[in-house]
Amino acid sequence: MATRSRLARRAGQLPRVGPPTTQATPAGTSRRKLRRIGLYVLLIAVAALFIGPFLILLSSATKPASQDVFGFPPDLIPRPPVADWFREAWTTIPYARFLLNSLIYVGITVPIYLVVSALTAYPLARIAFRGRGVFFMLFLSIMFLPGELMLIPRFLVMSQLGLTDTFASVILPAILSSLGIFLLRQAFSQIPDEIVEAARMDGANEFAIFWRIAVPIVAPTLAVLAILGFVSVWNSFIWPLVTLTSQSKFPIALGIAYLSGVSGTDVRGLAAGTVISLVPVVMVFLFLQKRILNSMGGAVKG
Amino acid sequence: MPGLRGRVVGQHWYTPYAFMLPGLLMYAAMFAWPAVIAIQLAFSDYNIVSPVRFSGLDNFSRLLDDPRVWIALRNSLLFVVMFLPLTVVAPLFLAMLVNLKLRAIQAFRMLYYLPVITSMVAVAVAWRYVFNREGVINWVLSLVGAGPIDFLLDRHWALPTVVLLEAWKNAGLFMMIYLAGLQAVPPDQVEAARIDGANSWQRLRHVIVPSLRPTFAVTLILSMLEAMRAFESVYVLTRGGPLDSTLTLGYYIWSKAFEDYDMGYASAVGLLLWAIMIVLAGFNLVVTRRRDG
Repeated sequence: MATRSRLARRAGQLPRVGPPTTQATPAGTSRRKLRRIGLYVLLIAVAALFIGPFLILLSSATKPASQDVFGFPPDLIPRPPVADWFREAWTTIPYARFLLNSLIYVGITVPIYLVVSALTAYPLARIAFRGRGVFFMLFLSIMFLPGELMLIPRFLVMSQLGLTDTFASVILPAILSSLGIFLLRQAFSQIPDEIVEAARMDGANEFAIFWRIAVPIVAPTLAVLAILGFVSVWNSFIWPLVTLTSQSKFPIALGIAYLSGVSGTDVRGLAAGTVISLVPVVMVFLFLQKRILNSMGGAVKG
Repeated sequence: MPGLRGRVVGQHWYTPYAFMLPGLLMYAAMFAWPAVIAIQLAFSDYNIVSPVRFSGLDNFSRLLDDPRVWIALRNSLLFVVMFLPLTVVAPLFLAMLVNLKLRAIQAFRMLYYLPVITSMVAVAVAWRYVFNREGVINWVLSLVGAGPIDFLLDRHWALPTVVLLEAWKNAGLFMMIYLAGLQAVPPDQVEAARIDGANSWQRLRHVIVPSLRPTFAVTLILSMLEAMRAFESVYVLTRGGPLDSTLTLGYYIWSKAFEDYDMGYASAVGLLLWAIMIVLAGFNLVVTRRRDG
């Protein structure tokens, strides 16, 4: 602590300095270049750690039957790459059905999630009423009721409602999240008062202000939540496992678990099936990565 | 902001509640009602077939005598202990690495984040190829004359392996949280320390880490809760085995409830886990508050 304040004080006294001029000399330049190459080597090594397993998966999925999946030393380049195992995975289990189911789950859950979160967050940010803080805490408390602990009682609630083994039972628990309400409340409260007041003077009621003015302004936050919602619904596994019994309603993650349980599935076929399940979510991520990555920081800073 | 008394034009007393109605209904149906049921079940005997029967504290006295609860508790705590350095410390260094001003640095951030958005099932399948008895890791071990190790089938290796995988999957998320924190550190202070002759370790220790205190509060609680309730990874990797060596509280609850249909007892173990999580969160809040003061 002492060091920090001393340094901080010193920072205030010192004139701003540019990069030291000595580094412009040839020796300095080459040392800097060397350091940069070293850093890239490190960055690539770490990247290998994070995507290596996926690359090995892809390599296993495209190896011909004549080539061993395992062995010392590892033989990772498929010779030649084949697509047979994708076909095999596609036909061993009702793969298309599982993909379609996941799309349905995402397509229904995410829009409802956005609307419910926005409606709930709006008054928490923009309308003064008694108990506002209490309601906010109530919705934040969802964080401490994690899905894993709710499996049993939710299963019983669904049975009481006669909803087990239905699409609705998969969708309903995913509609409310504390993160959605938290981020949207933040976004709504940053809207300048003047904009809202101007609309109010023109006679707009609260819902019109919400729908025509506030929602368009928080569109970037909604986009982030839509992406996060997509990822979480696409990957959801445990709750569908508990509530669903008919295979025809399985989402893709359950499909993969099912594929790995089917006896006689070739290790290459399992790899291929897993690769297919990763494609949609990775595509979404690649296209929208900037937004996703920036949101994670923003969510925590806020 | 208008006061509580003066009502704004176009707003009625019921306006905020009308907005929150769908959210409140969902809260009631999917969180509040199930939470009440969970508490009720913890004091009952229920096996799905016969009706719920109140059984007082039976489940809790059973819990105290159940050696598997203690195994699960020990494994969950071990999980936390191993998970913390991997998610609270290591990602800070990752964040410092991707905070460098280098070309294409965003691409590296993206690659490190990739496991976060993939499903645990897919991750488990992918790693099965890496951890195979004849997989890449055992090959590396064979080069130094060690192994082979059946990582997920060995009583001593299974839990550390599950922890490692869970940490690997989440590292990118923690990295991004630290990155946001790092980008808020005033560059002037780091620069001043450099001019004062502080080496990079001293800069980290005395300038960067102290300014990241609020970020540590977030990563610490996130990491603890995540580890404490670890379940999905255990389910897809080891199913609690071998010989209960990866039996966590989360997995024990699931197996009691949906394999043995012992719903009441499973709920009692659930309450225990819930209580531990709340204590951890409270402890965290107190510790980080005091440091701030």
